[in-house]
Amino acid sequence: MIIYLLPITVLFPILASVLIPVVPIKSRRGITWFIEAIVIVNSILVWYLLWGSPDQSFTLFKFTGNLSVTFHIDGMATVFAGLVSFLWPLATFYSFEYMKHEEHERVFFMFYTMTYGVTLGIAMSSNIFSMYFFYELLTIVTTPLVIHTLKKEAVDAARKYIYYSMGGAAFAFIGMVFIILYGTTADFTYGGVLAGGTFARNINVLYLIYVFSFMGFGVKAAIWPVCGWLPKAGVAPTPVTALLHAVAVVKSGAFAVMRLTYYCFGADLLRGSWAQYTVMAFSIFTIVYGCSMAVKERHLKRRLAYSTVSNLSYILFGVTIMTPLGLVGALAHLVAHAFMKITSFFCAGAIMYKTGRNYVYELDGFGRKMPKTFAIFTVSAFALMGVPGLAGFISKYNLAIAAVYSDNVLAYIGVGALLCSAILTAIYMFTIIIRAFFPRDDFDYETIKDVEDPNYIMILPLTIFVIVIFILGLHPQPLLDMFVKIAVGNL
Amino acid sequence: MINFNMILIASFLFPLLSGVLLFAIKEQADRKVTFAYTGLSLVITGVLNMILLFADSAEVKLITLMNGIDIVFRLDTLGKYFMGIVSLVWILAGFFSYTYMKHEKNEKRYFAYYLIVFGVLNGLGAAGNLITMYAFYEFMTLSSFPLVLHNQKKESVMAALKYLFYSFFGAYMALFGLFFMCRYCRTLDFIPGGVIDQVAMSGHETLVLVCICLMIMGFSVKAGMFPLHAWLPAAHPVAPAPASAALSGIIVKGGVLAILRVIFYIAGPEIIRGTFIQYLLLTLSLVTVFMGSMLAYREKVLKKRLAYSTVSQLSYILFGIALLNPAGLTGSLLHMAAHAFIKCALFLSAGAIIFNTGCTRVDELRGIGKKMPGVIWGYTIVSLGLIGIPPTGGFISKWYLASGALSSGIKGFSYAGPIVLLISALLTAGYLLPVTINGFFPGDDYDYENHKTIKTSFYMIMPIIVLAILSVLIGMFPNGLTEFIGSITGEIFNTGF
Repeated sequence: MIIYLLPITVLFPILASVLIPVVPIKSRRGITWFIEAIVIVNSILVWYLLWGSPDQSFTLFKFTGNLSVTFHIDGMATVFAGLVSFLWPLATFYSFEYMKHEEHERVFFMFYTMTYGVTLGIAMSSNIFSMYFFYELLTIVTTPLVIHTLKKEAVDAARKYIYYSMGGAAFAFIGMVFIILYGTTADFTYGGVLAGGTFARNINVLYLIYVFSFMGFGVKAAIWPVCGWLPKAGVAPTPVTALLHAVAVVKSGAFAVMRLTYYCFGADLLRGSWAQYTVMAFSIFTIVYGCSMAVKERHLKRRLAYSTVSNLSYILFGVTIMTPLGLVGALAHLVAHAFMKITSFFCAGAIMYKTGRNYVYELDGFGRKMPKTFAIFTVSAFALMGVPGLAGFISKYNLAIAAVYSDNVLAYIGVGALLCSAILTAIYMFTIIIRAFFPRDDFDYETIKDVEDPNYIMILPLTIFVIVIFILGLHPQPLLDMFVKIAVGNL
Repeated sequence: MINFNMILIASFLFPLLSGVLLFAIKEQADRKVTFAYTGLSLVITGVLNMILLFADSAEVKLITLMNGIDIVFRLDTLGKYFMGIVSLVWILAGFFSYTYMKHEKNEKRYFAYYLIVFGVLNGLGAAGNLITMYAFYEFMTLSSFPLVLHNQKKESVMAALKYLFYSFFGAYMALFGLFFMCRYCRTLDFIPGGVIDQVAMSGHETLVLVCICLMIMGFSVKAGMFPLHAWLPAAHPVAPAPASAALSGIIVKGGVLAILRVIFYIAGPEIIRGTFIQYLLLTLSLVTVFMGSMLAYREKVLKKRLAYSTVSQLSYILFGIALLNPAGLTGSLLHMAAHAFIKCALFLSAGAIIFNTGCTRVDELRGIGKKMPGVIWGYTIVSLGLIGIPPTGGFISKWYLASGALSSGIKGFSYAGPIVLLISALLTAGYLLPVTINGFFPGDDYDYENHKTIKTSFYMIMPIIVLAILSVLIGMFPNGLTEFIGSITGEIFNTGF
């Protein structure tokens, strides 16, 4: 009964992870195998589920009326769940090496694995209430990960994270209530659940509520002005910043915005309204803002975090174009950015792990000492810049084409913002690459003679990611075909 | 039967892979091994390009990135012309490197990137549609910056960053236009006469024109046109001399090629004629011609002077393009070849001087002609060519440019153009010839006691002499070349709409 896999894939990692701190395995090796086994088994179950993609939905429990936690697989769910289930085992594998130096590992892995289940819950929710439920849950289970080191900085970051996320959720809550009360159904339906005519008199209220809930869910997608938590949360261990703050958590925000726009309010209802222009203007501004801050920032991980801020708004920009093409672009960048950014974060993590260096100006000459890491980092940087042949070019191309065909002048400006951001990306990435590969001629390699590439546990996931970046850049058509099907409501 | 398609692929893939392979090979104790390998790869690629010159047509679809984005290589006359120039200059400057690179570190890295850029340039020449060209344009920037910062001095690294960011800025400006072209073109393939879809364009004329303008301005960054020329005088002089020669002779022509493709193969001359784009390009190119010459005249460091001269000369080419008539285009294309050979020879001479004497400033070069007569003779011949004195290459191209301007009938520019060209020619004489004059005639007070003739290595003198001869041959027997160029201009201006 494949239908039972829907709740199982969500609940299994949550329940199994509780065992991690208490399971009577003494050796570190044993516990890592145990964790990896949970994650891999769950990923296999997810793939089996997505392969079968059952039509029915499964209601886990019902509150009252039409408030229920229900799972269902559709095209969007397939994309997000597929992405997450691909990345999680690899990121967990990487973490085993990275977390060696850190304390209370088991608690860390408990929450890390739990997040997997919660993220899948967001991906597979079939109505806005379930999504909201898991969205809140995500905040709760990821906070301990941010706070992990228990340093003052980490506690501050976690506090900021909680306040921002909860505050955002409160705004999103308004939207949720609105949808549940006035929608023809609370389930996600392509094209939206609000029949436009009903609101003819109060259409501006509807727009306002859309903007509220967009910004609410946008907190996790780090849209300006509520993006401050993301660079701060960079104090968390790298596996968290890489997987959660570049993929799972922030993409949940973007994913929620997609659901909200295309499956609740309906793109047709919003297109051309002031609400569209407002949210699009915010995302365009964030694109440029994030990149500019990244150029200014000298802490490597924070620089990448600002780059994430900018790139997430690429996705939001795609969403706000509110045409099927825009959704295609947004989904393409959702997937492409996940791989590009996790790669660059893992490289940054490898550097921190091997040398303890955090700042860009400390990386002179590392290219020769850590050739594999920096070769991979360079590929991810090129991909982020949008060099043809790599994943980033394809997604930016799709976003830009969507904007060009939208006949929306603000979207044309958005194309300019994308390219402006590309040049800024070149600046903040190339200053690192050039420093690492071409230090000043008087640079003394003796000062970094102990620096070396990490072992295979870190290199293997990175290699796989790079291969994916190339595949997405050179042969993305099957994936794009799927996105097109999703975007026109056929999947 | 030769399979031209395979050769087309090989012509860019072979040097690319052999360059990458060079990274994998261990640093040799004997530098001759590295050089023999590089030399062989260069010559093989050159031979492949020569074979392609005789191909009627070749078209390869390498890969489909996504629906609507194909990476296609198609050999046409303009591509052949470009690849021909590239291979000549690249091989000769490559041979010059053999001696010159003795006094630089990291030779292997230099030669590896040198080969990779060669491959990328061939790809750029053979690119069959806008996306492919854009891709190779980006690769050209990415693979050539290591040549700029080769000695890794602070100045070079800064110059390389400047080069990179200016180039990316231009490329992304062009990309902006490219995105819109996807909507308003019938296809993005290069077809002489343009591919703008009139039906789709109606009602959006201004938008399309702005986008075309952005593409031209974007690509003109590489061609060093005012106002985005500042990277060129910074980046070219800091590179090792043979790399400066290749950069100044060829890489900048990549920008010119891209502009040619946009104007004549995507937009079509008829769309642009008489619009603000034409006037903007004419104005900016004339400003650059004058400004570049002026700056070169004022500059005291020889290599920087030559770089400013490139800024100025490149805009001769852009001016000819902007005239949008066959004579102007002929002049541009001729000047593309002439300038490539001449500027390469000039930079190589500067390199030979630096290598043998360590002098970089013009005022240090008194009596240099007595010390290195071969090099300075070569320098003088090509200088005369750049000034435009018959019967050298520069004369014939400038003659076409001037006649193109006069016959264009564009108000103001048809006279202003030739006048600016003339003034700039005088300035060119002013900034190039002092080296010759002070070199051969150092004056009475020259210290003949300490004078000794420097024996220049064969690898250094040979490329300079060959390039000098080539530049003269273009001027003396231009008919073969003009006929070839005639076939390019013919297909552009006759097919039309």
